[in-house]
Amino acid sequence: MSSQTTGDDVDLGTVNGGVETDGGVEHGARLVAFTEAVMGDDETRLAEERAALRALLTPAAFVDAAAVIGAFNVVDRIANATGIPLDAGMAAMSGEVREELELPRFLSSANTPGGS
Amino acid sequence: MAQVDYSAAGTPVRDDLTEIHADLLEHLRSPGTWWTGAERVAIATESRHAPGCALCRKRRDALSPSAVTGEHDSLGALPDPVVDVIHRVRTDPGRLSKSWFDGVMAAGVSEAAYVEVIGVITLLAGIDYTARALGAPPPALPEPLSGEPSRQQPATAKPGVAWVPMIDPAEAEGAEADLYPDLEFVPNIMRALSLVPDEARMLQRSSDAHYVAMQDLANPGARRDLDRLQIELVAARVSALNECFY
Repeated sequence: MSSQTTGDDVDLGTVNGGVETDGGVEHGARLVAFTEAVMGDDETRLAEERAALRALLTPAAFVDAAAVIGAFNVVDRIANATGIPLDAGMAAMSGEVREELELPRFLSSANTPGGS
Repeated sequence: MAQVDYSAAGTPVRDDLTEIHADLLEHLRSPGTWWTGAERVAIATESRHAPGCALCRKRRDALSPSAVTGEHDSLGALPDPVVDVIHRVRTDPGRLSKSWFDGVMAAGVSEAAYVEVIGVITLLAGIDYTARALGAPPPALPEPLSGEPSRQQPATAKPGVAWVPMIDPAEAEGAEADLYPDLEFVPNIMRALSLVPDEARMLQRSSDAHYVAMQDLANPGARRDLDRLQIELVAARVSALNECFY
């Protein structure tokens, strides 16, 4: 779900972090840095990244970013805790992307036949 | 009704988001299918307590969580196997394994009770991470409502696809006829909690409000104030950090 194809050219390296460019996504670097700060435990960094992102986005878009972070902290946990496999159609559509992102390294890939 | 106030965020928060958070908290405090309202609030309280657990911190730093033994810093209101589920799912969701799940079942937690616990933990995690991102304190947990769990297990839930039984959309009927939208494709994530249909219903409502509507999942043009690429980048980074293959 999180890597659906939109037809645009995106640097997938941004997804795995450690990349300081936007990767073809408007404000991509700041969005990734903010996401990492929310997921981490450095409150100073979080406050800085939140302020930096709010300076770039409309208030509504900033709220969208917060909501998506919330959403995927739900579905990721459910997927990993129930052992669901990747849907067949989704696997076919995103196989190349998953390889490039090295997703088979995750333990939860074992839940999808051929995933690990 | 549970109260949600994100004014501390210093930015206007859209109504559908505060409303779904209030609805989720109301759902959380209500008697469930296998747990009472008091037990569900206890699960939520333990879930918020888990990030401060010393054992969980040591396990997160270890190469394998099973290499570190000990007892969780628990509030003591729930059985140990349930506390372990709560702490593991909240603090280290990327390293849950089938053998760990089998151990939970062997310890006497039923599949349906487990699914409901997962619903409570995860839906609360969604509220808490959204609030953290916004820069507002998480909403206070509400007082539980009295009443007994319904103990209704859907007959059409079947094992085989995941660790837990699920209802196939083609077989959702009777009381579960409304469980899935009328779509050609219903992803496994929306089926994952269907052994406890009320949790699956709340997951879908939550996802629609936080992400994009399920009807729009396959539509690359679907967007909010963030465009779809921005949404998917944030989603993918969260999933990478949670070590989620799905």
